[in-house]
Amino acid sequence: MFVNVTLSLLEGFLGTLKLFLLTLVFSLPLGLIISFGSMHKRMIVRLPIRFIIWVVRGTPLMLQLLIIFYGPGIFLGMNVWGSGDGGRFTAALVAFVINYACYFSEIFRGGIQSIPKGQYEAAAVLGLSKSQTFFKIVLLQVVKKIVPPISNEVITLVKDTSLARVIAFYEIIWEGERFIKSAGIIWPLFYTGAFYLVFSGLLTLLFGYIEKKLDYFK
Amino acid sequence: MAILEVNEIRKKFDKEEILKGISFSMEMGQTLSIIGSSGSGKTTLLRCLNFLERPDEGSITVNGDVLFFANYSKLDDKELRQKRHHFGMVFQQFNLFPQYTALENVILAPKLAATSKEEIEEITENGKELLRKMGLEDRMSNYPHQLSGGQQQRVAIARALALKPDILCFDEPTSALDPELTGEVLKVIKELAMQKTTMIIVTHEIGFARDVSDEIIFMDGGVIAEQGTPEQVIDNPTNERTKQFLANYLK
Repeated sequence: MFVNVTLSLLEGFLGTLKLFLLTLVFSLPLGLIISFGSMHKRMIVRLPIRFIIWVVRGTPLMLQLLIIFYGPGIFLGMNVWGSGDGGRFTAALVAFVINYACYFSEIFRGGIQSIPKGQYEAAAVLGLSKSQTFFKIVLLQVVKKIVPPISNEVITLVKDTSLARVIAFYEIIWEGERFIKSAGIIWPLFYTGAFYLVFSGLLTLLFGYIEKKLDYFK
Repeated sequence: MAILEVNEIRKKFDKEEILKGISFSMEMGQTLSIIGSSGSGKTTLLRCLNFLERPDEGSITVNGDVLFFANYSKLDDKELRQKRHHFGMVFQQFNLFPQYTALENVILAPKLAATSKEEIEEITENGKELLRKMGLEDRMSNYPHQLSGGQQQRVAIARALALKPDILCFDEPTSALDPELTGEVLKVIKELAMQKTTMIIVTHEIGFARDVSDEIIFMDGGVIAEQGTPEQVIDNPTNERTKQFLANYLK
């Protein structure tokens, strides 16, 4: 029984993992772009971006999932997500990417703005171009600064994926709950915690390693 | 011919005029010190020369080549970077790049401009030589946070020299240093002066300025109040403000 439960939970965890990884792949670069927008010289760019960040950070992710999944059907009268599990997955991914990109963008903004002006001035008097300054001077210093807050968000994301079950996205908690109905046992649901714990443990080790790697400068 | 000619530079921040028409020139191989109280505009003047600020009026000419003329349309990025190479800049806060070693800091900019492997080797050798001259041969592979303030500032001087600027500018190079560390930096600057490096030094070290300079400018309220040799400006000032400033200073 234990082996059977473990195997099916693992299968559910694959759904969790897929959502987790794809969310990171899309939301990190999108977050960087949004952070540039939120720091833009022109108000006309900056203000709408800040407004979106405010809305996304100011409302529950679960609500965002519901609105993104059901909204188009209710308000526009069309089903943009297609049918079946693929559609649910896409909708969940879109909601997660938007939500996490906004959080990441604020972390990036904090990191970029914390770089002292003197670094830009030194690069400028040495004749470095804007892109050389960003990639050769600023970027690594920003990365070093944002590793701890990013690691926080990433570990939160592992657990937030469970929210996707409100739109019936198939993941590990869903799988665990199934055993209540099918076999009348509740421990598989509790057992899912171990999967989260092991995975976030691995992530903690990974981020600790990155932090250590960047420890050679201050 | 003068290596640098500054003509009627004016600069306003918001409504306040910080530089009210600054003109001076200097010869190749000279050391010019700019002294004056805080807020007199001396740092702003230096920042204008380095294009860290854009003057509202006036012109800057180096070696007969007009670098800046306020009526020009805005310089594009590439043009600006070319013109910057006439000046080197050493900052009060050093502004070394923390993720690079001392040597990497020195050779980063010339390396980015290099086109061949031989050139990069030459640049690296030249960088090592500069650090040796700064008395840092055993510190080349240290990161900035492993160096003292005085050592960091000497790396910053080497970094500025690595681009072989026509004129090397110092913005209060010892103001951020512990008193016992200023000596080693001043010594390096003095050596550069003896080797006839063309330098402009904004400083609060009046005694040092007298020792090392060929010419001294005393700035007050955005204008040049007095200008001349150290003997004239520091030992026998004629302007009332200069006298006041020096009296406060020596007290």
